[in-house]
Amino acid sequence: MASTATSRLGGLRSRGAALGGVVPPVSLLLLAGAAGLFVGSLRSSVFAQLTVQGLALGAVYGSLALALVLVYRATHVINFAQGELAMATTYVAYQLIKWGLSYWEAFFATLTIAFVLGTVLELALVRPVQHRSVIAAVIVTVGLFILLDGVVNWIWGGDFKFMPSPFGTRVYHVGNVSISRLYPGMFVVVIVSVLLVWALFRFTKLGLGMRAAALRPAESALVGVRVDWMLAVGWGLAAVLGAVAGLMAEPSQFFLEPTLMQPILVYAFAAAVLGGLESPTGAVVSGLAIGVSLNLVVQYVPAITSELQTPVAFAVLVGVLLVKPSGLFGHREVRRV
Amino acid sequence: MRARVPALVSLAAVAAVLCVLPFTLSDYNVSLAARVGIFFVAVLGLDILTGYTGQISIGHGAFMAIGGYSTAILSRDHNTNLVLTMLAAFALCFLVGLLVGLPALRLSGVYLALATFALAVSVPALPLQWSRFLGGRDGVQTSTTVGDVWLYGAAWSASAILFVLAWLVLRGRIGRAFRAVRDSEIAAVASGVELPVYKTLAFGISAAYAGVAGSLFVLATNGFAAPDEFGIALSLQILIGAAVAGLGSLWGVLAGAAFVGLLPSVSSSVPVIGSQHGQDVVFGAAVILVMLLLPGGFAGLLAQLRRLKRA
Amino acid sequence: MAVNRRKLGSLVGVLVATAVAAGGAAASQQGTPGVTKKQIVIGGTFPFTGPAALYKTIPAAEAAYYAYVNAHGGVFHRKIKDITLDDQYDPAQTLPQTKKLVQKDHVFAVVGSLGTAPILSTWTYLNKRKIPQVLVATGDAYWGECARHKCAASKTAKPWTMGWQPDYPGEAKVYAKYILKTKPHAKIGVLYQNDAYGTNYLAGLKAGLGSHKNQIVDAESYSVGDSAQVIGAHVVALRAHGADTFVIFATPAPTIQALVARTLTGWSPLTLVNNVSANRVFELAAAQNGANLNGIISTAYLASPTTQANLKGMKLAKAIIHATGNQALEQSLAQGDGNIVYGLASAWTFVDALKHAGRNLTRPGLMKALRNLNESGKDTNPFVYPGMTVKTSKKRAFPMEQLKLERWSGGAGGDWHTFGKLYSGVH
Repeated sequence: MASTATSRLGGLRSRGAALGGVVPPVSLLLLAGAAGLFVGSLRSSVFAQLTVQGLALGAVYGSLALALVLVYRATHVINFAQGELAMATTYVAYQLIKWGLSYWEAFFATLTIAFVLGTVLELALVRPVQHRSVIAAVIVTVGLFILLDGVVNWIWGGDFKFMPSPFGTRVYHVGNVSISRLYPGMFVVVIVSVLLVWALFRFTKLGLGMRAAALRPAESALVGVRVDWMLAVGWGLAAVLGAVAGLMAEPSQFFLEPTLMQPILVYAFAAAVLGGLESPTGAVVSGLAIGVSLNLVVQYVPAITSELQTPVAFAVLVGVLLVKPSGLFGHREVRRV
Repeated sequence: MRARVPALVSLAAVAAVLCVLPFTLSDYNVSLAARVGIFFVAVLGLDILTGYTGQISIGHGAFMAIGGYSTAILSRDHNTNLVLTMLAAFALCFLVGLLVGLPALRLSGVYLALATFALAVSVPALPLQWSRFLGGRDGVQTSTTVGDVWLYGAAWSASAILFVLAWLVLRGRIGRAFRAVRDSEIAAVASGVELPVYKTLAFGISAAYAGVAGSLFVLATNGFAAPDEFGIALSLQILIGAAVAGLGSLWGVLAGAAFVGLLPSVSSSVPVIGSQHGQDVVFGAAVILVMLLLPGGFAGLLAQLRRLKRA
Repeated sequence: MAVNRRKLGSLVGVLVATAVAAGGAAASQQGTPGVTKKQIVIGGTFPFTGPAALYKTIPAAEAAYYAYVNAHGGVFHRKIKDITLDDQYDPAQTLPQTKKLVQKDHVFAVVGSLGTAPILSTWTYLNKRKIPQVLVATGDAYWGECARHKCAASKTAKPWTMGWQPDYPGEAKVYAKYILKTKPHAKIGVLYQNDAYGTNYLAGLKAGLGSHKNQIVDAESYSVGDSAQVIGAHVVALRAHGADTFVIFATPAPTIQALVARTLTGWSPLTLVNNVSANRVFELAAAQNGANLNGIISTAYLASPTTQANLKGMKLAKAIIHATGNQALEQSLAQGDGNIVYGLASAWTFVDALKHAGRNLTRPGLMKALRNLNESGKDTNPFVYPGMTVKTSKKRAFPMEQLKLERWSGGAGGDWHTFGKLYSGVH
């Protein structure tokens, strides 16, 4: 790959300043969109239902997209296996529940296991190759994708497995809108996880160390940051976010099977790229946007049939990239010659 | 790294082996050997794009789909001679590749990779939409089918022809321009290389190769072109093949093609894991191991060996 | 010019060796491939992994039945060896796997392979070589229509390919009849898979409705692999079009998602589900996730291991599955997994045909037996719905052409209960 000196403008300044660096039209567009959703929901119960569902699933896309961004910022690798890793950790939770743990006990145990697994994978698989060839590192993640898929199929089989629903099956009635408790539940759990990770980066020394290690590895090492460990922790956190995404995706699909995260990974990639691969905010916001838009488009634009959905979504993505090659929230790379 | 052309003697030996092989192998193994030939064409194409101009594409399954469907539709509707359909696939995919290469100029590195990923995911969905012409989920069937030996001959003849074509292109001015683009776009522009022309050309050539591979792929599936065959898994397999091959070595391309062409079928013979439907476990582990041990691919290994020999 | 004797000698040796090897490979096997004095080797492709993996209890049940037959001496003292390979429901993998079965494992017949597209990608290859491709696990009408003449899906007849279960368009016509009888002014909304499987079902429904087919107010198609979100959006769309009757022509995963979505959005239409997704295990899953199942309609052609557990056939099924030692399979059967009964029933038919094909077993002989099945009276298949027959003849290419309507009752732990008359001549 071409090696060019790059400088990332404002990449890791505080969250507030980064938002201020976002091109105004994008923020205006988002505000307009949010207002539109609100008004639409008031006027039509179907619209409201689709919006709530869309936000919940969008949160899942955003969480996985955020995991992708974390990994990319830390190690400059697109982790193709992020979705399968999330799926595999969800199966771990399934197994823990079968062995007798309660749902939430298994939930937190799985997050811990995911963290460990993520760091181990970075140390064992990415570290050795990353410096020699980024393409090799990416192919390693592709191999990991295949391996994890194979292992899960081999151990648990490819058919349905059922996990207890974390939120029960109660349905709320707001006006004449029926909202299952599942969707607000998913949304809250994912957003809380994302906020906790954000707080970690923003307010703790560890987070500062991680940001520094990603932006300026050589300089950080000089001031005593253990760069290597920071990168591994980055992968660990990404795996945790992935596990949350998987655990929340499962009840939304109503059963667990090995292909659980594959459609979600596709949209997570779209969200990560749309938001700009270096922007955590971008990833989450894009995920939410994609989740809601998909739902509304299927309902209100009959010309875009089920089959055309993914192509159209990607056509839009590519269109955005052509106008803003570093994503909606990304910053242009300045190449120093 | 210049393209290393194996000595003529070794090439002749390989050609001789290839000619004799179909008569000594069982039918089943001949079809496997044909499969390696098909992947050889596809991986060679991707190698030209990624190895020589540094543009990553995870979307070559889409070009294979276009090539494959061209063959199927031409055969189904017009009874076209199969070899002619492959030429048509080559031409059509060349044009499509140029078209894709144009917007690709705006994107680089990871973003280009993800845009081509979008292509890989989207193109196989198109037959589902225009199902009357493109057969929908149930696919398109050619009017004639071919046997394993014909396929073997076609695949390896195409490989030979396309390899020679690649060698001619790469050793000349175009090849130097490609390599200049890969090593430093800025320097290339500074030296007067018209970036857009060469980058787009590389996409076109690469896509054309994938198109021919796609035609052969459909013929290998008994003339049956269906969306499920061209999913993202196929694009990833070609990418793996190119990575295992490494850059700039013909032998590397052969190794890469053999890796992705044979390993999945062979995996099921692995004891315990393989027999219990764990083929993917073996394949995935193999991919990881190969990339960890040989990050420069097979070509990198050969280069190292050559250096050792000289030392 | 002096010829180097040694070089010439080795060259001749290589040529001779090559010729011998080629000759050996070309020499056809004596007798029928896959059949020896002690063994019959058969094979099939199934989705053990991938999007259709929940059908994998079918080959497991078939293997269990063959094990049972082998334990009782086999057929004419030949034991049945069944080689099943995974094709992940991907037609590009089905062909190489099928070639493996034919060219490497030399199977006598390809039995029970699953999936419409996988069969379509291999039937030309197998028919050309006159290899039986029988009792395929899909209900598409092609396997009957194309048996003797060319048809929409094939320019030439495919006499070596044969189905087993009642075909999909026929099943859809039964639903049409039911709707017209019980809810003549129904506004029908259909969810269907966008491939031959789904479109054939929809066409059958329309044919069954006849002049009433404009009562279908909306038909939403989805793709295999669509997420629950997309399926849910389709359900909402159907309701928004004013449908008060919901027909689901979908494989199990989207069916479960559609059933749940319908309840979660507060919709309770008359609901009809196609029988491949009416496996009790799947319905229980939907209920677990909040679907209200009472009153949904489907059809049956197999005996029920739960509501008909006292039938001789169901007791036999329990014993056969118990003998495998596979606890997960036993549990699944106890919960009412109809796919296990399907596998047992289909395998029973195959063994029945083997017996009628005689001691001198050939491929044409097998096809003749399969085209002249008569599993009725004393020779009834113990696993199909009591009273149903499995028959084929010159006029009838589909072994099973009977269905019975069933309705779910009992809520989240309930079950299907058949009602009404026996529909015959379904196709």
